[in-house]
Amino acid sequence: MTITLAIPSKGRLKDKSVEALAAVGIEITSAENSRSYRTTVSGFDGLDVLLLSASEIARQLREGAIDFGVTGEDLVRETIAEPEAVVDFVARLGFGHADVVVAVPESWVDVETMEDLGDVAGAFRPRHGRRLRIATKYWRLTQSFFTRRHGIQSYRIVESLGATEGAPAAGSADVIVDITSTGSTLTANQLKILSDGLILKSEACLVLSKSRDRAAEDEARAKRLAALFSAEHS
Amino acid sequence: MSAATDADQALADLFALRGAVPMETPILQPAEPYLDTAGEALRRRIFLTTGEGGENLCLRPDFTIPVCLDHIVSGADLPRRYSYRGLVFRRPRDIDGPNEIEQAGIEDLGETNLAMADARALADALASLETAGLPLERLSVVLGDQGLFEAFLRALGLPDGWQRRLIRTFGEDRLLDEALTALSGGRGAAIDTVPAPLVELARAREEGALTRAIRDLMEEGGLPPHSGRAPLEVAQRLIEKVAIAEARLPDSSLSLLKRFLSIDCALSDAPEIVRALAAEAGLELGRALTFFEARNLALRAADVPLDALRYRAAFGRPLDYYTGLVFEALLKDGGEPLVGGGRYDRLLRLLGAAQPIPAVGFTLWLGRMREATSARTESSDAGEAA
Repeated sequence: MTITLAIPSKGRLKDKSVEALAAVGIEITSAENSRSYRTTVSGFDGLDVLLLSASEIARQLREGAIDFGVTGEDLVRETIAEPEAVVDFVARLGFGHADVVVAVPESWVDVETMEDLGDVAGAFRPRHGRRLRIATKYWRLTQSFFTRRHGIQSYRIVESLGATEGAPAAGSADVIVDITSTGSTLTANQLKILSDGLILKSEACLVLSKSRDRAAEDEARAKRLAALFSAEHS
Repeated sequence: MSAATDADQALADLFALRGAVPMETPILQPAEPYLDTAGEALRRRIFLTTGEGGENLCLRPDFTIPVCLDHIVSGADLPRRYSYRGLVFRRPRDIDGPNEIEQAGIEDLGETNLAMADARALADALASLETAGLPLERLSVVLGDQGLFEAFLRALGLPDGWQRRLIRTFGEDRLLDEALTALSGGRGAAIDTVPAPLVELARAREEGALTRAIRDLMEEGGLPPHSGRAPLEVAQRLIEKVAIAEARLPDSSLSLLKRFLSIDCALSDAPEIVRALAAEAGLELGRALTFFEARNLALRAADVPLDALRYRAAFGRPLDYYTGLVFEALLKDGGEPLVGGGRYDRLLRLLGAAQPIPAVGFTLWLGRMREATSARTESSDAGEAA
């Protein structure tokens, strides 16, 4: 039998993932056909490494379709309702850093904290005939931060699948929840992060799916792989 | 005839006797009214699906909104009482909880004698429980009143921004505590990142100049001029905020507010206790307290024994369409509420009614009620056997 690990299929995340595997002695060679999702693995018996998109990896971890995945913590927490019950974060890998933040227009000089935003949201409907709109692709993280953490009920989420930072200028939303690594995209769009608006400090993680059925032999393999990474990244 | 059908018939008879017209509502409902009124928090608790044209639909998560929407569409004369009964669908908070919940209740729309309508909702809720074999002696009934809380804040003379903040957290004890701590610690507002010239303008209450400065910032940021917050709105809030940032909630007001919020007494004693606190502090609660007393009289007239109910000043629901009375009843030995109700005068306007319509209602959790009565039957059977 074998266990399966999925890593991001392209770009910096892929390169960094391959490096992280190399650091624990696992070498990956992509199949000759560069469009294949399969790889050849050496250095760890009974391990298959697949190339998938980062968000697909989060979904497959949830479904228990793979044993391990390398993907962003933000995607795992957004995709899985109760992450602690479904997956283990085995190791934080030190790349793919991104903060999920709440940002508002810079011209909202009266809004500096979530408390301010709550006040604005509460008075929005009577003034403007609609709820405050938040553009994001992170509706689960947003809802839990606004409602559970800050008790803010009155807002609507506008699902945004790209260029979220442009939503306020486009008039499709009032504020945004998005990822940022340097903040420069936000600044360029005249948006500012609220002082207590950090929802999650995310980075790439090695994640174990707990919902996957594994034979005893594979369970032992999974433990061994997890131990390699825990030792390397502790 | 089985006991369950007897109980169903008895409840239907009671609703009819109390003048409520049964209303049928479809199980598949538009989701927008729910997300728009109760907020996004509901999204993870309801079963959403999408119609052919991309519209959001959901399995009916409650009856109040469909009843109100149907009423608005029908334009029926007011006042009017509607009754309902059927399944609602929600994702349970704990994994083993039920997805389907059987509820029944009455929504009372358009009655302008608010005290009488409040009393009638509570009295009918208690009568429904009694009909089902759950008399008041077995229940713990608690009542709260957001109107009285708001009147207390006004009487204390707190700045509007503080009043809004406290009202927003009413019913959420943790958030209310946090807000009180922040306000009394002089952390009522943060202005650390506001450019100094704007703080100066706000401090001097230069609304015109401040508005122009903010309009320039908005244009620079490329914000569309006629959607969302207007420059004047931001300016006014900044002026208010600077004033708050430089004030702090006086200790005397804080301790009065805390004493008010800690009131937990028999409903019969509540007016006197609240009045004594207000008199000691020299506060004028005005109509809110008079109304509270009028409702107590109406409850007495409806044969509700006031000394068997509790008033808890901090009891509320953090939804912005609840405006006054809230209540719930559970078994004396605890558990989940068997009935919950309250006044929601803002809801019908939010749902599109042309005029404000006062409204009050209650919802019975039939499954929980059956459990409560059958547990009772089993334990008394066991008693007889021994």
